[in-house]
Amino acid sequence: MKKYERITAIITSLGGVWIMYYAWRTLKLGSIHVPDAGLLPFLCGVGLAVLGIAWILILQWTKEAENEGPAEQRLWHRPVLSLLLMVLYGWAMESVGYITSTFIFVIAWQKVIEHEKWLKTMIIALLGTFAMYALFVYLLKVPIPPEFFAG
Amino acid sequence: MADHGVLSFLLTTLEPVNFAACFFGALLGTLIGVLPGLGPAAAMAMVIPLTLKLGPTAGLIMLAGIYYGSMYGGSTTSILVNVPGEPASVVTTLDGYAMARKGRAGAALAISAIGSFVAGTFSVIALQFFAPLLARSALAFGPAEYFVLTVLGVVLLSNLTGKSRSKSLILIMIGLILSTVGMDPIGGLERFSFGIEAAQGGISFIAITTGLFGVAEVLTVMAAKEKPIEVLPVRFRELYPNRKEMKRSVGPIARGSVLGFLIGLLPGPAATMASFASYGLERSISKHKEDFGKGAIEGVAGPESANNAAAGGAMIPLLSLGLPFTPATAVLLGGMLLHGITPGPFLLRDRPDVFWGVIGSFYLGNMMLLILNLPLVGVFAKIVRIPNHYLMPIILVLCAIGAYGDNGALFDVWVMLGAGVLGYVMRKFDYEPAPLVVGLVLGPVMERSFRQALIISQGDASGLWASPLCLAMWGIALLSVILPMIFQTSILTTPEKGI
Repeated sequence: MKKYERITAIITSLGGVWIMYYAWRTLKLGSIHVPDAGLLPFLCGVGLAVLGIAWILILQWTKEAENEGPAEQRLWHRPVLSLLLMVLYGWAMESVGYITSTFIFVIAWQKVIEHEKWLKTMIIALLGTFAMYALFVYLLKVPIPPEFFAG
Repeated sequence: MADHGVLSFLLTTLEPVNFAACFFGALLGTLIGVLPGLGPAAAMAMVIPLTLKLGPTAGLIMLAGIYYGSMYGGSTTSILVNVPGEPASVVTTLDGYAMARKGRAGAALAISAIGSFVAGTFSVIALQFFAPLLARSALAFGPAEYFVLTVLGVVLLSNLTGKSRSKSLILIMIGLILSTVGMDPIGGLERFSFGIEAAQGGISFIAITTGLFGVAEVLTVMAAKEKPIEVLPVRFRELYPNRKEMKRSVGPIARGSVLGFLIGLLPGPAATMASFASYGLERSISKHKEDFGKGAIEGVAGPESANNAAAGGAMIPLLSLGLPFTPATAVLLGGMLLHGITPGPFLLRDRPDVFWGVIGSFYLGNMMLLILNLPLVGVFAKIVRIPNHYLMPIILVLCAIGAYGDNGALFDVWVMLGAGVLGYVMRKFDYEPAPLVVGLVLGPVMERSFRQALIISQGDASGLWASPLCLAMWGIALLSVILPMIFQTSILTTPEKGI
């Protein structure tokens, strides 16, 4: 755990330094009397860098925390698959439209991740997509990506 | 303002659209409270795009309904399933579930609902009294005072999660930086948009919050092994506490209401802190100490009252100063800004209809929740049994359309996914996402007031601490940094967890 904390602390301080550099070079800092667009990001960058360095120093001085018992069983492949499906869903939203992509997304989720039977999968996908259509398109008229098949 | 004016604004809650918004908000909040995992902040973030269609008053009434409705719903699963619907109901599992195993589930649920109603109503009365007082006194605030107030807010809110201050401060900084993405409102310079057209208008608040709370929650649920849930049965005729149980609950409900309201005024996870504080108080003063953990009614009545009162108390700093002291009120603040409403001292003066409409909806919502929660408890208990794999894709679809619908840009869906991955990694490493949202919503106010203050004082930085109000707030901010250093050696460590 301490190793990951150290990596996070290093990323934090490096991120802070990069933001300071960007704010200083690309944006204008102005001065404390006449602040410009870059001053707040610059100060936040300073804050991040200082907190990150302080964190690294404290990690050097503190002992590794004791193991707090057995960790809950984690299934790494399921969140990865979920994320992958979400990326494809985002891409499909623009390509084929919201309704079609939602229908395909729910089917893919139930078959690929949950290994659900076809009948249940189709019922969930149809009901879910219909509910989304009724709520967002029909009732609330929320802007959604247009349907490719609607021409 | 004349009292009859206040009354007429309070009564706007009874207009059909506001009434319906209150009902659906409270109902949705109860469902969110019942479902383990998804919290009120995530639900509110997902629903914000829908509320934009309702207008500010009805929209904010609905969001507020989700907030306090979730406090009610959280107790149902704690009592019947031994799984808290949200963190504020964790302590209710100790005695609530024990009561259910003894066949007193109905009594525990009824006392929980009654206590929630009494405490909720008490906190709204106090809110109605104190929020305008605070708002009127804050009317003297100029840009300099506002800037110092946001600095004070950042310092105080670094304790928002009740965990590591340094982690919270880092996340607030990241939120502040994210808030600067897009066109600089004063000079017109582009910041951090790197030529991406969709980013020039700024980073979408909805995309960030749905990602951090909604998508991250789904990924977390997907990573955990789903366990079968056993729900203890409860029949309608059992929903009556006996005289002894009623008598033993009166004191804890009263004490929980006052304690919860006061804790709600503090920055941090107020509802959770209030429920634990109330449980501790009741156990220490009870004549039946041996019953605690084995089904003491006081262990349900006190904490459930306290977490509802805290929800009301947390609305005071939000409505009167524009400072969100809890993760859910941070999202609510974002929702207000998207509705074109700026919470703070001017809200009461400029939009009394919204101010009093939201407060009025608390009264109505509390009554609705009492009426809904008792007869429908069996239905809510069944909802817990819905397998996650039916709900998760629907939640993701809701998040995606919420993010897309904000600006009609696919870029926001990618931002949401990025925020989702960030939120998931943050959870794995014990970071709470709420401070980032606080930075995101306070950033524009902080920057604008800072630059305006300096323009007014013609570049004289001493204007930032010239007034007694500014000095007092700087003093409080300084003390809140120094005192923990004295008591805990360093603000960068917490006694239990280190950094």
